[in-house]
Amino acid sequence: MPDIGGDPLFVLEFGDILHYYTPYTITLFLLALIFTGLAIASRPERQIDIAFGGDAYYAKETTISEMRFRRFMAIACGLATMGAMGSGDIFNFTLFVSLVGIANIGIVAAVKSRHVLNAAYEYGIVAMVATLPLFGGAALVAATTGTLAISVLAGGGFAVPLVAKAFLALGVIGEGMAPFYAAKAEMFRAPGAPYVIMCSLSSLLIFLRVVEIVITI
Amino acid sequence: MIQDYSLGLLVAFAAMGVAFFAMMRETDGLHRLLLTDLIEVVSLAFIALIGTDLAEALILPGLVVGTSELIALSEIYRIKEGYTRPPDAGLQIEVMESAPGILAALLVVYGIVLSGFSGGVVAGLGVLFYFLCRGHNERFELIETASGYSWALWIIAFFIFMILPQYWFFAVMLSGSAILVKVMAKMSLIGTMRGGPNA
Repeated sequence: MPDIGGDPLFVLEFGDILHYYTPYTITLFLLALIFTGLAIASRPERQIDIAFGGDAYYAKETTISEMRFRRFMAIACGLATMGAMGSGDIFNFTLFVSLVGIANIGIVAAVKSRHVLNAAYEYGIVAMVATLPLFGGAALVAATTGTLAISVLAGGGFAVPLVAKAFLALGVIGEGMAPFYAAKAEMFRAPGAPYVIMCSLSSLLIFLRVVEIVITI
Repeated sequence: MIQDYSLGLLVAFAAMGVAFFAMMRETDGLHRLLLTDLIEVVSLAFIALIGTDLAEALILPGLVVGTSELIALSEIYRIKEGYTRPPDAGLQIEVMESAPGILAALLVVYGIVLSGFSGGVVAGLGVLFYFLCRGHNERFELIETASGYSWALWIIAFFIFMILPQYWFFAVMLSGSAILVKVMAKMSLIGTMRGGPNA
């Protein structure tokens, strides 16, 4: 087992489905936990727009209902990320990843502004299309090896096709917001800072985790 | 067996190519949303090709994820384009005034007798029909809350199956009635799609 994550610290078995934490994944898990706590505790940023050519400025207010919805979505995103970090079953991992994608769409789309909604729509299309390589990769792993458990696959003796690994990585790239949309100013300058940071963090974490999975299996 | 799987995989990859090509060519927002559904179907085909009991268990979450993303995106599209439709009066047919009460009562009672998923569907059909014909002034947050609590009860029943198997009868009753309420509440929402004050 080429374990880049170190020896498992904790294993929880539900029959075939198991959760486990290695020093690598527990670090990522704790990072997600801390940021979820920060998203719960912090208050949304209040943006100031300065009008050119004068002393005037506008302060953008985030309404309470919008703040509550985005906070809920940020917590859901954090929980899904934590689940993806600890999951030892490839299909469960892909489900958690697609949940991260849905929560990210929710975080961004709560802003009722035309250009933010346009960006969220485009991102949503990409996230939806990415479920094909994501689930397709997991299905290819299950069909060619007969198991989905990462620990069993790590034991060796299985020929996981390269296409399946590539599909998994491609799906995670599409679901997470960071790689495609890191430069999308419309999304990241939407009012309400701590929640938008959750999008970037979750996509970074799921990407780090899928790299570990692809190398291990 | 392997031959069949390879053939199916070939067809799925071809369908994937067609779907992505269509996605690349299309520029209209709504049509792209519809095309993503095509891609969802191909991903379900990939899962179905496993061809064992496992495939059945994996298709359901895959389908749920796809549907929920489709609903979220259509809602974003609707708000983005500013589409709103005022509620209209609907069809004014005499049958739709008299029949719903009787039919809905019959279906709901029969659904409660059946219980479980199928009972929920039958009872939900009754409530759906009633809402569709008679209009509605209910507070849908309440229905949603009831549905959420009954879903939690359903999960609790599963934990009873796993942890305290000797109380299986209680767990069967709990999960059967909870899933009845949940499915009925969710299905009845379809009946409110005509629009209305609280929908």
